[in-house]
Amino acid sequence: MIQRIFLVLLGLLVLASTSAATVEVVAVSPSMGALVREVAGARADLTVLAGPNRNLHTLQVRPTMMRVLRGADLVVAIGAELEVGWLPVAIRSAANPKILPGTNGYFEAAAQVRLLDVGGAANRAMGDVHPVGNPHVNMDPVRMAAVARALAGRLALIDPAGASRYRGGAEGFAAKVDRRVRSWRSKLSGVPGVVLYHRDAIYLLDRFGVPLLGTIEPIPGVPPTGRQISALTAKLKGGRGIVIYTPYQSPKAPKSLATNLGWRVVELPMEPPRGSDGDGYLGHIGRWVNTIASAK
Amino acid sequence: MNKPLLQGALVGVLLIPAAAFPASDAEVAELRSMLGEMKAEYEQRTRVLENRLADAEREAARRRGEAAKSKPMTATVVRSAPTASPAKQTGGFGALTSGSAFNPQISVILDGNHYYDGIDGEGAALVGEAFQPSGGGHDHGHDHGGDEEGHGHGVTSNGFNFREAEIAFSATVDPYFDAHTYLAVDGDGNLDLEEAYLQTRGLPYGLRLKGGKFLSKFGYINQQHPHQWDFVDHNLPYLNLLGDHGLQDTGVQLTWLPDLPIYTLLGVEALHGSQEVFGATLGDAEQAELNLGDTRDGPRLWTAFAKVAPELGENHALQIGVSYAHTNQHQEVHSHSHVHEGEEEVHENGLAGNGDLWGVDIVYKYDADAAYGQGDIKFQTEYLRSIKDLSIRSSAHEELIGSPRKFTTDGLYAQATYGFAPKWTVGLRYDVLGLTNKVSGGESEEFGSSDRWTLDLTWNLSEFSRLRAQYAYSDTLVSGNERESFNAFYLQFLMSLGTHGAHVF
Repeated sequence: MIQRIFLVLLGLLVLASTSAATVEVVAVSPSMGALVREVAGARADLTVLAGPNRNLHTLQVRPTMMRVLRGADLVVAIGAELEVGWLPVAIRSAANPKILPGTNGYFEAAAQVRLLDVGGAANRAMGDVHPVGNPHVNMDPVRMAAVARALAGRLALIDPAGASRYRGGAEGFAAKVDRRVRSWRSKLSGVPGVVLYHRDAIYLLDRFGVPLLGTIEPIPGVPPTGRQISALTAKLKGGRGIVIYTPYQSPKAPKSLATNLGWRVVELPMEPPRGSDGDGYLGHIGRWVNTIASAK
Repeated sequence: MNKPLLQGALVGVLLIPAAAFPASDAEVAELRSMLGEMKAEYEQRTRVLENRLADAEREAARRRGEAAKSKPMTATVVRSAPTASPAKQTGGFGALTSGSAFNPQISVILDGNHYYDGIDGEGAALVGEAFQPSGGGHDHGHDHGGDEEGHGHGVTSNGFNFREAEIAFSATVDPYFDAHTYLAVDGDGNLDLEEAYLQTRGLPYGLRLKGGKFLSKFGYINQQHPHQWDFVDHNLPYLNLLGDHGLQDTGVQLTWLPDLPIYTLLGVEALHGSQEVFGATLGDAEQAELNLGDTRDGPRLWTAFAKVAPELGENHALQIGVSYAHTNQHQEVHSHSHVHEGEEEVHENGLAGNGDLWGVDIVYKYDADAAYGQGDIKFQTEYLRSIKDLSIRSSAHEELIGSPRKFTTDGLYAQATYGFAPKWTVGLRYDVLGLTNKVSGGESEEFGSSDRWTLDLTWNLSEFSRLRAQYAYSDTLVSGNERESFNAFYLQFLMSLGTHGAHVF
């Protein structure tokens, strides 16, 4: 019996040492996973913690996350307190000094680019506010290209032998983004605008100059009352636009607003499907663009 | 007439250098080429600098463009970072946070309730004094040598109660340690140090060391502070076998998370052993009077635990744990009365020995993916078994001295919560103490059990505030053959101020 256990442990050790040839990367979400795939390709052994329909802000820590983080060389988070409820505690509990914030093994997309919604009062009467800035940078393809370049730099620090692969991957992704952005820009010029549930797609709207006509929730993290929906209806009556909400947001209020206004209401995820690469990510942004453009 | 002389002098002066460094044509040519090289070099350097300047200008323009592209939106303010980009401030390696500079993260939790039971407010204390032959730690009226006033979480009477304000500080100390401090101030202003510990950051091989005063990782709920519970009050096995605070002690904890395909956490703790119930020791005077011996040097309490969590996909989380604790010194005093010639005489027996405690915990969470926790399910159960192996050290009945007494009491709770609507959860708990409730050894006797059904309704208004209503029906064994049944109602508020909390599984 003891011999068998010993053999199993030995086998695990061998497995662990053979897989050490690549960089163990843990991405919090499919969009971050897409960047890793694009930049590192087969050099990264990638695990994505949360699926596309998850609210990364309210996610709860699971022991299995600690298991994945235990052997990671790099964690790729969206950051800016988006994952504050679970990622810091998961990283601490994973007992892996390589991925602590402040080291090479901890990467936040939001820390690599200029943020929107920075500052403002740190007053929770205004809901679940985060004065550090709006974290949802994964919705802006141009910022994502910048994040990919920064990620390539970070991966090169961890695995210098792959530096040129990483740089090439990031540049390739940036080129793809450039091509798409030009067509998206023309598609989205002159669209009437969007009502979101939460200010979670503002980076996309901001990039293409799409007006944000309003948000369903009056302040972050607090669901709307019927009266607030009526007020929003009164304000938007007669105009054109589209209502978009994500799978983890309650569909009731968006649907009733859209019915009142005679607008289309669409459920779109904040993240591309699990297993997406750069093209999958751009396809996901493309779906948002087409949906927003459909309100023209 | 002086003109030719002046001219001659001038020519002479002008010729001096040439005369001093007689130059050939070859030398002149060399000088020229050197000058030419220097010029070329400077020109190239200037070009490099000019290029860099142009690059910087382009970058600045690109950034300005990015900022300028943000159109005014109707919802609320959109502002950009005031000066340098965040990447510049942190080098892009850290976690962006709203936390301020070097101050520790601070949070305050306010926990108050309105309580009513049908037995004059005795019920809240009674559930922690369910009958067990060892008497638990509640030696009714005996002084443990310490001040017990206002010390418990359970000092609750009919009417309004402010249970505690929990003040938490945490920070990274340096590259080697994190540290946390939790203070509890109760309604009377008594301050209690709940936890204050360091934890290592950089040990290799998945090891972490914790030191200081902390809640043991024995079991599952033991590590949670009262505001993290899914019900207002603690469950019967913990209350009666471990006390209001559970296993909260001073010592060290070593955990090991091996890099295995299945989450497995192993840990051991060495604790001083200053316990209220399991591993309790009496005061010096009583120890002398009852011939129990002095309190031994610590550590007197040891624990070991293992947790395993299989991978079940991202909607499910399951953790199974086994825990064990051993105390090498436990003392208690049992009193009984005799009616002797018409007068009541109280006899005290002093008992001492050691104790073992076993625990099994299972926690399952289902994450339904919906808004505001709708459809989420959490199921949690623990079984505790306490075995105290004591002998009688002093008694009015001399024939009993030296006689062994083994006290075995176990308990179980099982609870489930369900998010039946956005922001609303309903919870049901059944807890029981004394499925086995017996004394064996020199004398053997078995007793009944105490149990309770609890139903609660929780309204999570936001991530930071919570209101709860709870009803419980208790059937408590108050002595060997006497039971008390009562209804108890709680209305509770929990307010969370300060930094955004994160909870361990």
